[in-house]
Amino acid sequence: MSRPEFIYVTYIETTPEKLWHALTDGDFTARYWFGARLRSDWKVGSSFEMVRSDGAVSDAGKVVECDPPRKLAYTFINLSDKYKNEFPALATFVLEPFGKLVKLTLTHQGFAEGSKFYSGISKGWPAILSSLKSLLETGEPLQIPFEALKMES
Amino acid sequence: MPKPEYIYVIYIEAPCEKVFDALIDPEMNKDYWGGHCNLSDWKRGSAWQHVDYDDHAIVRVAGTVIENERPHRLVLTWAHPKDLGNPDKVSKVTFAIDEPFGSTRLTVTHSELDDEALRAISGGWPPILSSLKTMLETGQSLPMTRRRWKSGN
Repeated sequence: MSRPEFIYVTYIETTPEKLWHALTDGDFTARYWFGARLRSDWKVGSSFEMVRSDGAVSDAGKVVECDPPRKLAYTFINLSDKYKNEFPALATFVLEPFGKLVKLTLTHQGFAEGSKFYSGISKGWPAILSSLKSLLETGEPLQIPFEALKMES
Repeated sequence: MPKPEYIYVIYIEAPCEKVFDALIDPEMNKDYWGGHCNLSDWKRGSAWQHVDYDDHAIVRVAGTVIENERPHRLVLTWAHPKDLGNPDKVSKVTFAIDEPFGSTRLTVTHSELDDEALRAISGGWPPILSSLKTMLETGQSLPMTRRRWKSGN
């Protein structure tokens, strides 16, 4: 039985500290994460939430690891009905300096075989991380509408 | 049992034509592809080679153009020059460029890989494609990708 795992590696011209801030500050994430503000005090064991622009919490989980600016890990699951039979999976961000660049490795794992949430995040992460890279390198995020991801309803 | 496949999706703030041309223009290749460039007439059935920009006699990868539908699709076979006659060692790269709702998306699918080749290309594609994106969005490629580098994956 194969348990799907999503891995995405990107190289960004920034510092580990700036990238860490971009990944953990709600005002910043709202600019590139489809409007989502990430909310947590980032202590291990604390809650983790994604808050939509209308104030509703769309995804929730827990902080598992927090070692700034090197490694961040949290679990989360989308709270809509369509994923009610699924459980939170673990997203781990590893930030490695690479000369003037940072190599960011995102590993999202712990999905059950056939997970619909896995299918959703596989489409979401490249858009979110591409937009983050543009924002840090050019000052502007990408304008990718959610419809562009063609998520199944 | 099907051979493994590697897929990388990246969104780039540039028109489809610019992304397509960046893949095949030697003057653009050298700045993001470690001082290498791609040579061919790019007609269906023609040969193509990935060579050292400063010494074209150094051929790192070679193959055949399977499809060219500029600016949306380019499909190539891919092998080390010494392996061209061995079908087990020839893989396939598909570059698909589409524009869902106005944002340009490049999907690179590297298929028909054996395990060793999968490991090697998994380290190569992220920095090359990250640098291609940076070059098209900022005018300058990522610093470490302008010369051949040791990929430490």
